[in-house]
Amino acid sequence: MGELIRLEGIVKSFDDTNVLNGIDLSVDENEFVTLLGPSGCGKTTTLRIIAGFEKPDQGRVYFEGKDITDLPANQRPVNTVFQNYALFPHMTVGENIAFSLRVRNKSEDEIKKKVADALKLVNLKGFENRRIDQLSGGQQQRIAMARAIVNEPRVLLLDEPLGALDLKLRQEMEYELVRLKKELGITFIYITHDQEEALTMSDKVVVMNEGYIQQEGTPQEIYDEPVNAFVADFIGDSNIVSGEMVDEKVVRIDGVDYPCIDGTKEGFPPRRRVDVVIRPEDIDIVPYGEGLWNGTIVSKLFIGVHYEMLVQSEHGKIEWLLQNYDQHDVGEKIGMYVDPENIQIMHKPKSEAESAMELDI
Amino acid sequence: MIAKKTYSIPFIIWIVAGTVIPLASIAYYGFTTRDGGFTFSNITAIFRGDHLQALGLSLSLAIISTVICLLLAFPMAMVLRESKYGKQGFLIFVIILPMWMNFLLRTMAWQVLLERQGVINALITAVGLPRQEIMNTPGAIVLGMVYDFLPFMILPIYNTVSKIDNHLIEAAYDLGATKSKVYTKVILPLSVPGIVSGITMVFIPALTTFVISNMLGGGKINLIGNIIEQEFTINSNWYLGSGLSLVMMVFIILSMLMLQKFDKTGGENLI
Amino acid sequence: MLFLYLPILTLIVLSFNETKSMSVWGGFSLKWYEELFHSRLMMGAIVNTFSIAILAALIATVVGTMAVLGMAAMKPRTQNILLGFNNIPMLNADIVTGIALMLFFLMLGAPRGYMTILFSHATFCIPYVILSVRPRVNKNTDRLFEAALDLGASERYAFRKIVLPELKPGIMSGFLLSFTMSVDDFIITYFTRGAGINTISTLIYSEVKIGIRPSLFALSSIIFVVALVVLLAVNIRNDRIEKAEMIRPAL
Repeated sequence: MGELIRLEGIVKSFDDTNVLNGIDLSVDENEFVTLLGPSGCGKTTTLRIIAGFEKPDQGRVYFEGKDITDLPANQRPVNTVFQNYALFPHMTVGENIAFSLRVRNKSEDEIKKKVADALKLVNLKGFENRRIDQLSGGQQQRIAMARAIVNEPRVLLLDEPLGALDLKLRQEMEYELVRLKKELGITFIYITHDQEEALTMSDKVVVMNEGYIQQEGTPQEIYDEPVNAFVADFIGDSNIVSGEMVDEKVVRIDGVDYPCIDGTKEGFPPRRRVDVVIRPEDIDIVPYGEGLWNGTIVSKLFIGVHYEMLVQSEHGKIEWLLQNYDQHDVGEKIGMYVDPENIQIMHKPKSEAESAMELDI
Repeated sequence: MIAKKTYSIPFIIWIVAGTVIPLASIAYYGFTTRDGGFTFSNITAIFRGDHLQALGLSLSLAIISTVICLLLAFPMAMVLRESKYGKQGFLIFVIILPMWMNFLLRTMAWQVLLERQGVINALITAVGLPRQEIMNTPGAIVLGMVYDFLPFMILPIYNTVSKIDNHLIEAAYDLGATKSKVYTKVILPLSVPGIVSGITMVFIPALTTFVISNMLGGGKINLIGNIIEQEFTINSNWYLGSGLSLVMMVFIILSMLMLQKFDKTGGENLI
Repeated sequence: MLFLYLPILTLIVLSFNETKSMSVWGGFSLKWYEELFHSRLMMGAIVNTFSIAILAALIATVVGTMAVLGMAAMKPRTQNILLGFNNIPMLNADIVTGIALMLFFLMLGAPRGYMTILFSHATFCIPYVILSVRPRVNKNTDRLFEAALDLGASERYAFRKIVLPELKPGIMSGFLLSFTMSVDDFIITYFTRGAGINTISTLIYSEVKIGIRPSLFALSSIIFVVALVVLLAVNIRNDRIEKAEMIRPAL
């Protein structure tokens, strides 16, 4: 798989507000890349720059090695599924899908066939003559997909396409999108603030915040080895606590020393202040006194498959979040154990300039 | 971006030529003598007895008409709000239809009714009562104003009251409010924007009219509008006419400022 | 109801009255209608009224729609200043607008006549177009425009096929509003017209000043019937649209 799209040093600001502070990103052919981040992190602007709706202040956009920074949107081999679909309200479903074909003066026979094929692909066969306002939200979403893919773009850009749908429909559409991508065999660049969507569908997740890329990697890497507290906090529930290295492989949290096997190659020198992430499902409950540390359960919630508990540590002020399948009562004294490989050590967040430097690593 | 800023240029030129310069020329003439010198006399001319009287009469007739329109329009708007869908359409239709008649003809109709030899007097004398002089009185002018401008009060008020969420009213009743409390504490405050634009749309034309007073006042009752009109059309004294217009504009602006105090949205919902 | 319609009904009845009296019924006659249709003055005024209304509404629609599109590219502050100026002719008393324009034409030395009326009418119609088109130019229109570009359309094509149809209801209502405002106007026309030219309104005014003639009653009846028919037609169309909207979700 070769590189298809490359962003180099993209900087963009609106009215003196910096939205993108130097984005470098590479997207391979046939990859499902998700830009993940909270609103205002710059993910939508990045997408709009790829689509050609915005010009970057600095930096270049390459497509198959060709500089397309100045190419207008209507000449780029990419199509977009817009956030609220942007279906043309005065046209029928068929006319909407046919739009990009009509623009290119395709024959009516070809248009008819391609529209029917596209509708079949999104499981809405025979919807050609419906009006847009006769469709449900989920159907509109599918039509927006059909309209964007009918002209066989090399890249499909999806701007929070599932944001307006309810939970059940959203989960259904996630499978649908993965299926579509397999059938089309094209590149997807997907934008969302929903970490579950990102982890479920993507080949690569790019976590963004405040106009910087915080981390990129496979969903597994992002989840298991977040590089900083922001990523850890944004991806799933976690316990993020301050710690200090006492030795290469020993971290002191709240006055207690823990062994740790950290995946970071560079390692951490002793006496360095660090952030420590422990996922709530990685904390095992053991009999009192037999774990790494002890605590008292202060609250308990049943949330479907498992219980979520807050445990007040005996050693310091930390309140740990635990997820466990077994039932324990509030007030119970327990011991807690974490497998050393599940203790993730991260750099403390730095100043903005320093975190910008970090992007080069 | 769909368009460029330059698309607005014809509009800006039109504003300058059609609004800014013409208004500036009123100001210029208002402060100028016939020989081109600077003067305040066109402004202070408002204190001349006949001018002051006309202004006073204009203000009082405009206020009376506005109040009558408001008292008639609010209940009508409420009736409209509460009537059923099909009937509502019919009622709005009934209110709008006379607005489509030329207002000169509508005013003329009252002239026909109120005339000494007119329909109403014919009815009165038919039952043996003496002829009444209804025409050429301030009362006739108020009647004409109310008749001509009432729809402009009903429609904006109806527009706002029809948008009041029924749940708000139900909530007020649910919380123990009486019917009168619901009206004074919920419906009335929420209809303020409509009332304000209704008042603007009635008060300003009523204050500045010269047509209604001419037709129903028989040329005997002068409002400030008549005085200004005569300066321009009969006496050709544009300087005095402009000066008096400036004074009248002060009253227009004052009334708008007062109304805006009640409602921050101002003239935005005039339509 | 009675208050609203009694005067109009009186006019209609009197328009068929054989005698000139306003209170005595002298038998049925159509002679006042005949007189109306044979009046050259009146026919000229009708032509003037409608040609001015159509032209003024057209000019206002083009200038106003362009203005709205241009404003969308401006900063909110600039937009608000322009809208403030836009509101002036709408909020100002007609008599002030009328004499202001009259003085402007006098200063220019422009002969007052058809063109000055047309210019003045366009001036007070533009604000209505802007206020009815502006709500239609928003983020959503921007997004539809971008979607069209994204699908390969040129800017012209996207504007013609996507943006204009989106603006169409606003443009239409702006045009119709302008047209009716122009037909209905008396005061501004009164000050900006020249000696030899009349619209329906100014003609009525000068005739009423001389003395009410029953042919004016005939004119009232005709206008009333035309208004009734037009409004009924519009209303029925509205009802159909509303009905369609009510049925659609049920499908």
